[in-house]
Amino acid sequence: MRAKRVCRAPLSGSDEAAMEEGDMVIDEEKANLEARTTQAVEELKSALSTQGKGAQKKKIEVLRALRRLLSQSEVPPVEAAIKAGAIPLLVQYLSFGSSDEQLLEAAWCLTNIAAGEPEETKSLLPALPLLIAHLGEKSSTLVAEQCAWAIGNVAGEGADLRSKLLAQGALWPLARLMLSNKGSTARTAAWALSNLIKGPDPKAVNELITIDGVLNAIIRNLEKADEELATEVAWVVVYLSALSEKATSLIVRSSVPQLLIGRLLASENLQLLIPVLRSLGNLVAGDAYMVDSVLTVGNSITDQAVSSLIKCLKSDSRVLKKEASWAMSNIAAGSLEHKKLIFSSEATPLLMHLLATAQFDIRREAAYTLGNLCVVPAGNAAPPNIIVDHLVAIVNGGALPGFINLVRSADIESARLGLQFLELVMRGYPNGQGPQLVEREDGIDAMERFQFHENELMRNMANGLVDKYFGEDYGLE
Amino acid sequence: MQQRPEDAMEEVEAAAGPELGFWLAARRRLAPDDPFFAAGDLERELLAKHLALDLSEDDRNQLEKMEVASTCTVFCPIAGCGAHLGCLEDFEDHYVTRHSASCSVCSRVYPTSRLLSIHVSEAHDSYFQAKVARGFPMYECLVEGCGVKLKSYKSRQQHLIDKHQFPKSFEFFKKARPSQRQRQKSQRRPTAHKGEEARDNSMDVDGKGTRQTNWKYRPKQHDHKESKENERQHQEAKENEMEVEQKIDELTSAVSKLSTADSTPANVTFGHRRSRGLTFVPRSIRQNKQPASQPEAK
Repeated sequence: MRAKRVCRAPLSGSDEAAMEEGDMVIDEEKANLEARTTQAVEELKSALSTQGKGAQKKKIEVLRALRRLLSQSEVPPVEAAIKAGAIPLLVQYLSFGSSDEQLLEAAWCLTNIAAGEPEETKSLLPALPLLIAHLGEKSSTLVAEQCAWAIGNVAGEGADLRSKLLAQGALWPLARLMLSNKGSTARTAAWALSNLIKGPDPKAVNELITIDGVLNAIIRNLEKADEELATEVAWVVVYLSALSEKATSLIVRSSVPQLLIGRLLASENLQLLIPVLRSLGNLVAGDAYMVDSVLTVGNSITDQAVSSLIKCLKSDSRVLKKEASWAMSNIAAGSLEHKKLIFSSEATPLLMHLLATAQFDIRREAAYTLGNLCVVPAGNAAPPNIIVDHLVAIVNGGALPGFINLVRSADIESARLGLQFLELVMRGYPNGQGPQLVEREDGIDAMERFQFHENELMRNMANGLVDKYFGEDYGLE
Repeated sequence: MQQRPEDAMEEVEAAAGPELGFWLAARRRLAPDDPFFAAGDLERELLAKHLALDLSEDDRNQLEKMEVASTCTVFCPIAGCGAHLGCLEDFEDHYVTRHSASCSVCSRVYPTSRLLSIHVSEAHDSYFQAKVARGFPMYECLVEGCGVKLKSYKSRQQHLIDKHQFPKSFEFFKKARPSQRQRQKSQRRPTAHKGEEARDNSMDVDGKGTRQTNWKYRPKQHDHKESKENERQHQEAKENEMEVEQKIDELTSAVSKLSTADSTPANVTFGHRRSRGLTFVPRSIRQNKQPASQPEAK
């Protein structure tokens, strides 16, 4: 997943923002562009050794020329720049004591080089220590922001580079920048942080949550910040809640859940809704405290949580429907009260509709939810207890074909899910009508597919059900 | 309780025994790099780069499909197939196309053409039965590549169980299970309908035609039921007779009535017949069956 972002425009608040004239240079012939880039890098080199009066001005000029090529071309000539030797030169331009303007331009060039292909991003290795250093509190905010952007691109490349950055101490300064009062700085830092902590190694998230002020900054931003900033902060929460139990435990006991639910209800901005929903989903999945103690049935937060998920189920966005179904399925795995609450809400008809009509991945989540609404776990080896009212309503509402379709699918998990639901129906539907209902929807047909399935467990499961429910006594009065 | 799907699979096995898996209502946690989240991650990047504005609905769907497909590929789970499918939606088409080999004699459907051909030999070929009667090992192992041939149906069955870990309840030949209505009818009129055999055969010709058309498409629910209803009438008389013969002659006489030119259906089948609902054998009948000779009754 391409998590890198090219910096096309000057940062807000910079002088450049006021004077920048350039439109995108499109239709630049590739060969031409490469030649100009090589030329620009040559000039970068010669400007370094220039002494005297106009030297500083010259340096800025050549940097700017390269920067424009890398930011205004539709396809930035990253490869050409690297080949011409831009990186070691830019590292020199980043040296301590350089003017802010120089640092800004050099960091900007590096940002866009880092936004290229994997090998191109990796070529930034020599620049990392300086980029991290310039995140420090002594740097100008703009310089720090630009460096954060470059680091975010590097972190977005892969786990190895993330390790390197963490080892070199990138976490703390970025976290500090996220606390900035300047919106765009906080936002860029949050975005870079989200790339840095996304794992799979949980070390970064575990460290991040211990940094003083981080949780408070998250809370403050979720509550008050504009949607752009709240979006990036929400992504930080996504990774904190997915990878760190320590972080999750702290977060569920804070006001974050309420704030997430509030944002989910209030916003129509898909960019914000996605990470907010996912954070909520991660919290519900990750810590029993969330469903057991925060979302207690009877509290208004719980009603709001269900409403917010219902809102997502109704949306046009496939992502929202899928991830909301997942979150809902985990709440439906809670207590009997939770199941009753969800069952009696608008969620049930919505989920039935999704089970019948949506894309495969959504159907599967809807199936998990509907099934969870029908059972209460019994002891360790015992078959679960069936909530007959729920099961009957769901089956009568037409859910069987959807489950039988899952049985037919090539995905083992879904097929198993479908078979398990059929077991519930055949065991628990009143008056022994379950098997007939299953037969009527070609359920037997679907189960027979497993006779030559390569997975023995599935074969046995399907055969077992058929033997048990469609055996000798089937059909007799 | 939190578990990943793979763990859930094992837990189901441990908790509920290998055959019946029970629904486990438990929280499911997902790692941030789980393919489940791929669509959302893609959406994040598209929106951030303002590309979303320029893409049509179709473009978006294509892009999503590509991203998701690049992370997970689907393989056909039918043993010996291994076909690689682009996405899960393609599987149903693949299954219907590749794993629906239908017998032109009795319309039974098999997941591979090899199994179909084995079925045709064993169920509709009197030459096959003649060789069996003379002691040749004719019953092929059903597992592709094994190559073993056994002298009887039962010994082949045992071989599958012993060498290839097939479940004990597995039956290549399953007797068609008559519906409740037919059972009641046969109980009321126990005498054989042998006289109707000629009529049955002529009906068969018609029946065969209808049935053959039926299997080609995945029938919609209502079409399916219509054709089922039509056929029920055709088949009823035949099946009464069939059932009675089973009781009287058991299996041996059936063999001599078969020939490849015969268009009467086998009522003993593996796999489903799209034109009928039930093809399951009561356990007791299966266990009592003597499969040394063909379990066909006409």
